[in-house]
Amino acid sequence: MSTSPPIEESAPAPMTRRRFDTESPWVVNAGRLILLIVLFALWEIGGGWLFDTFYFSKPSLIAKAFAHDIVDPAFYTDLATTGLELVLGYVIGGVSGIALGILLARWRFVGKICDPFLLALNSVPRIAVAPMLIVWFGIGIASKVFLAGTLVFFITFFNTLSGIRGVDKALCDVARVQGASEWQIFTKVMMPHASAWILTGLKMSLPFALVGVIIGEFLVSSQGLGYRLNFYSTQYNTAGAISMILIMMFLMMVLTAIADRVDARLLRWRPSDREAGGVVPKA
Amino acid sequence: MNTASQAGGAELALAGVGKRFQARDRVVTALEATTLTIENGEFVTLVGPSGCGKSTLLNIISGLTFASEGSVRLDGSTITGVNRRVGYITQQDNLFPWRTLRENVALPLELAGVPARERRGKADQWLARVGLDGFGDAFPYELSGGMRQRGNIIRTLIYEPSVILMDEPFGPLDAQTRIVLQDMLLSIWDSARSTIVFVTHDLTEAIALADRVLLMSARPGRIVRADRVNIPRPRNVFQIHEDPEFRRLYNEIWDELRVQVRNVDVAAH
Repeated sequence: MSTSPPIEESAPAPMTRRRFDTESPWVVNAGRLILLIVLFALWEIGGGWLFDTFYFSKPSLIAKAFAHDIVDPAFYTDLATTGLELVLGYVIGGVSGIALGILLARWRFVGKICDPFLLALNSVPRIAVAPMLIVWFGIGIASKVFLAGTLVFFITFFNTLSGIRGVDKALCDVARVQGASEWQIFTKVMMPHASAWILTGLKMSLPFALVGVIIGEFLVSSQGLGYRLNFYSTQYNTAGAISMILIMMFLMMVLTAIADRVDARLLRWRPSDREAGGVVPKA
Repeated sequence: MNTASQAGGAELALAGVGKRFQARDRVVTALEATTLTIENGEFVTLVGPSGCGKSTLLNIISGLTFASEGSVRLDGSTITGVNRRVGYITQQDNLFPWRTLRENVALPLELAGVPARERRGKADQWLARVGLDGFGDAFPYELSGGMRQRGNIIRTLIYEPSVILMDEPFGPLDAQTRIVLQDMLLSIWDSARSTIVFVTHDLTEAIALADRVLLMSARPGRIVRADRVNIPRPRNVFQIHEDPEFRRLYNEIWDELRVQVRNVDVAAH
């Protein structure tokens, strides 16, 4: 497939010669870099003059705090703890959400009975039960895994349920006429249709998983990035705290980028925004 | 080409097949008791005003819906539900968006457990036959309406049902594409000789394709007229409107169809 844009979309020749091409990714990235440098420079220069570095720190202090952290072995224990909680919460929540979603979508009667209860459960503000989680699961990683897991669970569960329930009856009829068994209709029509929904649910729930873990660590913990962040802020070590926040931000960006890649690969049968509604010339 | 292995058609016999359903406080008759025999390998077209029960009739023959009365027999055995001897091609292409064109076309073989290599080869043969070679790896959203509809047609032809039901398969297409696909369908049918029941709004199409044109009345639907089309085959669908037999039939059937269409109009007001 060619990557050149369709003919009707090609831009008309500019009337006046521009000094640089604002569509070029190089120019856009250069602009981003400049903005980043300007923001950090303002922060750096303004610190101690426009605002108090005691509260807001400044990039050089944050860099120093970061350098201090990354040579500290305890930091890697914290990173590993948070990572483990995140992965466990995400996987357990995701898998159980998909499994129950499939079960209740297939088992219509039970699904109908359970619908309002699940809706009610999902309406419980998770943070409100957090103190109880410590009573139930203790102060170890189980309470964090559970908190992250429930957040992920409901998102993937509702997405799986809607994905399977929303399948076009006409597509099921096509397969049925062609001789599909009920099981084949499920595996070859319903599940592929739901897969787009399920993937969206898994992608959407990723940030929630991290939020669940970090909040869990805030409440009670002795390890983890959230614990470290909390520790720094109670000591008024703002540079250390902001450094932690930036690390979490970076972690989330990496995970989201991976999820986007997986999504784009698995859902390549869906038209992208640019191609939607038009016929793409091929071959 | 594997046309020699085609299984041919089957005789389709409808005995007093009718359909009624309950709508709030009254019973609506969608299809009046219809008795009709379609010969093995015959190409029959059904025309009539909208809502006259043409699609209901096809749904019953396919086994997707049940008749309120009467029975449908295929080579003497009663149809009790969907079965692979009856194929159904709908107006909407209903290709699975997550499958490539080749995977869509090969689906019936996949459902029957045909090995991957074999079904791929067969799907490619059919794609080539309708001018879609090179598009096997495309997803439906990347194809034009005419290409998708070709895919929809050959994914039924690929498993060689004895009876093929077609519900306005060329309805959403532009005039040129329609004629090209009509021509394609006739040449395939000519070698396969399955029994075809083809529903259409378009009287020209109905006469051009059929051995027999059945005209249905406005609701409640029933067959009011049957005409044999004595135009020799193979036919040239591009020039069939010049044939005197075509014109005679067209005028005769249209006089009757006009009355039926007006009845729908009156009933609607």
